[in-house]
Amino acid sequence: MNSTLFKTNLKSNWVIFTFVFGMLMIYVSTSIAMFNPDTAEAMDAMFSMLPEGMIKAFGFVGLGTNLTTYLAGYLYGFILVVFPLIYIAVVANNLVAKHVDRGSMAYLLATPNTRVKVAVTQAVYLISTLTVLMILVTGALIGLSEALFPGLLEKGRFIVLNVVTLFVLLAVSGISFFASCIFNDTKMSLAIGAGLPVAFVMFKMVADISEKVNFFRYLSIYSLLNTDKILNDNSYAITVSLGLLAGTAILYVLGVVIFNRKSLAI
Amino acid sequence: MIQVNNLTQVYPSGKGIFDVTFQVAEGEVFGYLGPNGAGKTTTIRNLMGFTNATQGEALINEKDCRKDAAAIQKSVGYLPGEMNMLDYMTGIEFLKFLGDMRAMKSTEKRDALIKKFELDTEGKIKKMSKGMKQKLGIIAAFMHDPQVYILDEPTSGLDPLMQNVFMELIKEEKKRGKTILMSSHIFEEVQRVCDRVGIIKDGRIVTIQNIADLNSVNKKKYVLTFADKKDMKKFENSPFETDKTDINILKVSVSYPFNDFFALLSSCDIKSLEVEHVTLENMFMKYYES
Repeated sequence: MNSTLFKTNLKSNWVIFTFVFGMLMIYVSTSIAMFNPDTAEAMDAMFSMLPEGMIKAFGFVGLGTNLTTYLAGYLYGFILVVFPLIYIAVVANNLVAKHVDRGSMAYLLATPNTRVKVAVTQAVYLISTLTVLMILVTGALIGLSEALFPGLLEKGRFIVLNVVTLFVLLAVSGISFFASCIFNDTKMSLAIGAGLPVAFVMFKMVADISEKVNFFRYLSIYSLLNTDKILNDNSYAITVSLGLLAGTAILYVLGVVIFNRKSLAI
Repeated sequence: MIQVNNLTQVYPSGKGIFDVTFQVAEGEVFGYLGPNGAGKTTTIRNLMGFTNATQGEALINEKDCRKDAAAIQKSVGYLPGEMNMLDYMTGIEFLKFLGDMRAMKSTEKRDALIKKFELDTEGKIKKMSKGMKQKLGIIAAFMHDPQVYILDEPTSGLDPLMQNVFMELIKEEKKRGKTILMSSHIFEEVQRVCDRVGIIKDGRIVTIQNIADLNSVNKKKYVLTFADKKDMKKFENSPFETDKTDINILKVSVSYPFNDFFALLSSCDIKSLEVEHVTLENMFMKYYES
């Protein structure tokens, strides 16, 4: 871990962090503001006017009258998947592949820091800022819920949901970081590091449209973010979390190891 | 001390460097000469530990350049051939960043170099000209007072005045016992500051020469332009080796002692006299044409 490099990452990536956090805040605040246990039926009526497949594709299912399941249905199917993905894909590419592609990696490695140290610093940066992003979002969700609807949110279950969501995002960041480490150019790093997670989002959306194409869910890491199961089944949440953490660790370690061993054209 | 032993690096295209061997001692400036694409940068990438060699090894201060890259960098100053800096920073931010990455304590040399090269470090690197970036790169390579310098085409983009400042800097560092490797495709600068020169062609070292030997090649060629054809005959009939290049121009090869030559010369009406230097360029071309 090199704190100088970490601080420099902050300087060059805070804009995208702020953008993604800002977008999430807009959705978070409007979703809570829109919640009204009394008019939940009206909401259902509104959604019923839209084609069923479309509602399912965006994960707006079973919003219900319960604030916890309402938020889970409204935010965790699409919004908390896509916006963090923008952050992950851009930053993961910036941290390693862009430096190699543009040649500035030569300056980093011309200092007495091993490649492992440089790569680990970048990994820690991505993991920690993504965690901070989710902590801020979860904090805002709980804070706003308590302010507007005191006592309605089942905080324990809700935090579990957010932890599992974070683990899913970390696993996705593992894919993007791995791609950033193994490719020498930004084009390939983004094609795999952003392209694969985007494909996962699409597969999940397709799978949710109809039972007939439900097999697509086996092709998407986001299918593990099954909000109903996470909110109701502790053993599911634990199993999924452990699996995601293991996958994340493998991807990050492999990324660092390959980056350490490969030839750099810088 | 830099040692390159039988270093081979083959790219998928079949290009690369093959069996490159040379050493650079402490207090020595080694010029690494060759046209673009000859393999200079490939050699330097290996010295910096950026690439995995196909065969052979590169050592700096007896340490393996690939395996001990980070440890070696403590005592190495590197100037890349292309100035790809973190261009959203200002010049001084970039220097501070690199200084912090090195845990560099003194900024004395850095500030002296900024002054010496008259660089405005307050501007964003993005907005800097090629020459300004080159100066910034030079300062970044020299500011931590390393023992070994690896410089890839250090004068490219510098104006003649700054080229001179740079050459003087190299001479100073050499006096202080530094080990210096500089690549170039400019003969003159290599001849001016280097002790030895290695010429690389198509990935292979074709010759390594002492510049001092080159400068003192005892055979000199004088180009004489005669006013009178009779005087020209005198030279043609003399024991000197001559080469008639025009109706009134002779190229005369002379070696020590020069007395006879000048005695004969003083009896002739000469319109002009020029000395043809055996330059690195002549030598370079010789190796390239063959």
